[in-house]
Amino acid sequence: MLVLSRKINQSIMIGDNVRIVVVAVDRDQVKLGIEAPREVPVHRSEIYEEIQRSNRVAAESAGVPAAEVPATPSATPATIGTASRARLQPRKK
Amino acid sequence: MESDMNVSDTQTMEFPRFGTCTYSETDVIRFPWGIPGFPNLRRWLALNVDENNSFVWLQSLDDLNVALPTMDPYYVFEDYDPKLPGYAAAALDIESPTDFAMLCVVVVTENAEEMTMNLFAPIVINLRTHTGRQIVLENSGFSVRQSIPRKPVSPAIEAEPAS
Repeated sequence: MLVLSRKINQSIMIGDNVRIVVVAVDRDQVKLGIEAPREVPVHRSEIYEEIQRSNRVAAESAGVPAAEVPATPSATPATIGTASRARLQPRKK
Repeated sequence: MESDMNVSDTQTMEFPRFGTCTYSETDVIRFPWGIPGFPNLRRWLALNVDENNSFVWLQSLDDLNVALPTMDPYYVFEDYDPKLPGYAAAALDIESPTDFAMLCVVVVTENAEEMTMNLFAPIVINLRTHTGRQIVLENSGFSVRQSIPRKPVSPAIEAEPAS
């Protein structure tokens, strides 16, 4: 890991498009500003790690209760978005 | 996604968990950023298994041992209406609500008594470009582990965002 020391208002460039600025320091808390292109997500690490963990658990789990999966399954490409498309239709009262 | 089953465009593959599947290149969903936990797996296929249409399996084409169980969140949570952050629309070239669909990862607990759905980080798929990304709705209040009933394909169940 690259470790740099910065003072308040100093910044770091990551690649060509991401800048991290030290906005404020208050005892044990550092306030950071992030400038990045619109399509680049910025997340607290623990949140991102929670998503990773959750995905890995899901991939390892049975997914569907075992009793419902017959011995010789077959698979077809799914049509996705049906429920969300129906949702966009005006609802019948 | 719907695809014209032009025979010359299709291929058949054997998936370890799901058996034989015939699909065409237009069914393949590209994930240019991978999926958290699987950052190098870029090509995925959305599958129904054995006509169970409430589950959609996201099967990796780069690692056949990896498949994520997902569901269309609207089957269970009719009022799920997350606001997509700017980076999602930009990254996936989304301009209107009809451009995309969402799939949420589900986890079945060990004793198969409970299912939870990740409403906090839906997988968003651009239906035009067949491109997808898992989007984290930070500060939305939605849960990574929202409980859902055992038989979700039933009349609307009110979802309360929970953290």
